[in-house]
Amino acid sequence: MSTPASDHRQISPGAARPRPRKRAYRGPIVDCDVHHNWSSHQVLHPYLSAPWREFVLGPGRQGNIPLTAAGFFSVPNGNGREDTVPESGEPAGTDLELMRAQLLDPYGIERALLTYGDGLFGISGLTNPYLATDVARAANDWTAERWLAPEPRLFGSILVANQLPLEAATEIRRWAGNSRMAQVIMAGSGLGKPLGHPVYDPIYKAAVESGVAVAIHIGGQGGTQPFSTGGGPVNFYFEYHALLLQPLLTHLVSLIAHGVFEKFPDLRVMLLECGVAWLPGILWRLDADYRSMRREIPWVKRLPSEYFMERCRVSTQPLEQSPRRAQLIQLLEAMNGRDVLCFSSDYPHWDTDDPDYIASRIPSDWWPSVYHANACKFYGWPQDVSASGPREAAHAG
Amino acid sequence: MPVDVGALTDFTEGGFRVVRVDGDEVGILLWAGTVYALRNSCPHQLGPLCEGRIRPLLTASAPGKPSLDTGTPVVSCPWHGWEFDARTGSSLWDARYRVRQVQTRVTRGRVLLDLPAHARRRASA
Repeated sequence: MSTPASDHRQISPGAARPRPRKRAYRGPIVDCDVHHNWSSHQVLHPYLSAPWREFVLGPGRQGNIPLTAAGFFSVPNGNGREDTVPESGEPAGTDLELMRAQLLDPYGIERALLTYGDGLFGISGLTNPYLATDVARAANDWTAERWLAPEPRLFGSILVANQLPLEAATEIRRWAGNSRMAQVIMAGSGLGKPLGHPVYDPIYKAAVESGVAVAIHIGGQGGTQPFSTGGGPVNFYFEYHALLLQPLLTHLVSLIAHGVFEKFPDLRVMLLECGVAWLPGILWRLDADYRSMRREIPWVKRLPSEYFMERCRVSTQPLEQSPRRAQLIQLLEAMNGRDVLCFSSDYPHWDTDDPDYIASRIPSDWWPSVYHANACKFYGWPQDVSASGPREAAHAG
Repeated sequence: MPVDVGALTDFTEGGFRVVRVDGDEVGILLWAGTVYALRNSCPHQLGPLCEGRIRPLLTASAPGKPSLDTGTPVVSCPWHGWEFDARTGSSLWDARYRVRQVQTRVTRGRVLLDLPAHARRRASA
């Protein structure tokens, strides 16, 4: 008789993570990539504008918002880490109490940036750009009310539907002055162009004028979006995951080549969930190519690596697992890792990096910078955030 | 001891002329009536830099808005296209990264190179 698979579970769904055995790093942590999610699209309905709510609830839609881009891979082992699925059976990342118990409390997370779930990955692939714009607005209101208001350690990302950059800019400005919304977030390119293309300038302009950073997260491809891999669409999630840095690589190069950092001298860009070991190679390549081909992009005034080092930061997860620790450190040193890396867990996804694991992989004298100081500086937060005073209620102006 | 590389009237305005001085190649440029000289060796992979074309500086007032600076001669290495100010040898991306300059002067209509001491020693050997 076969044994039911559930009998073999080592971790119960929804279990609070036990306090780590021995924590190497005990200082404050800013987690730059924590995915919160809705249990279903139903939760967004009250936040949609009346006409779009009527459309979504009308005949044929049954309340469903077509947010998940067609062609997106199903993750073979499940998208969420097994123990992050709440007892209710709702998707991982939907339960604030569980997030507190598994991430915020045991690791002493001082601040965490919420980065959405299928809203992030699906928004730019939603074929109806007007509906997408309203969904993004609704999602931001939902985040502010349901996550930021009850939990002061959480900070929001302004989700935008970049299919309509001017409307996206309006959404960014709606949150201007609210320090609980720390950045704009995009994943896919809603117009099918790399994110340095000037068609997206209104988004960067609004971000800079509102004083918020811009985060670009992997994902969001498939469906109406460009394929996530150069050379053609792949067949397995295994391939997709190994190659998921490709869109971000394209966006980073595009931002530099189009002179976006020259156009917007105060623009700050956070690269999320793309790993890090590939960066030295592309930066070296960009600098070499710039020396040969500067004539083609004369508005780029500095070596590409200089823009990156000064204006970009990159989250640590998923940190490449080099056979020997020293190999990875050598690469990270080549990209000023101590100054440009910002810790991220990617909770609650299956490829989460545990904070203690990261401590075991990077030099100990980098810990204060990577876990905390770099992110605080990037987001314009005081280094001692506990002394930053009361936080205002999180709602759009 | 300065090295005489010819009459000023032998040089054409706006282009390099490469001369060999005891095994060292030097590119000599007449630009706006002034003589400049650079080692004919790109610091990238030692390509013959001064055999590259001299073009006006292609710059930009803003992204997507290219413009020309005709007052700045730029030499592009014929091997990989690395660009340098043809007068000073400074690269366009970092003034500290440069091709070695050779001092020149014009005396009684003759172009003279003031080569470094080691080159002079070789020249006199």
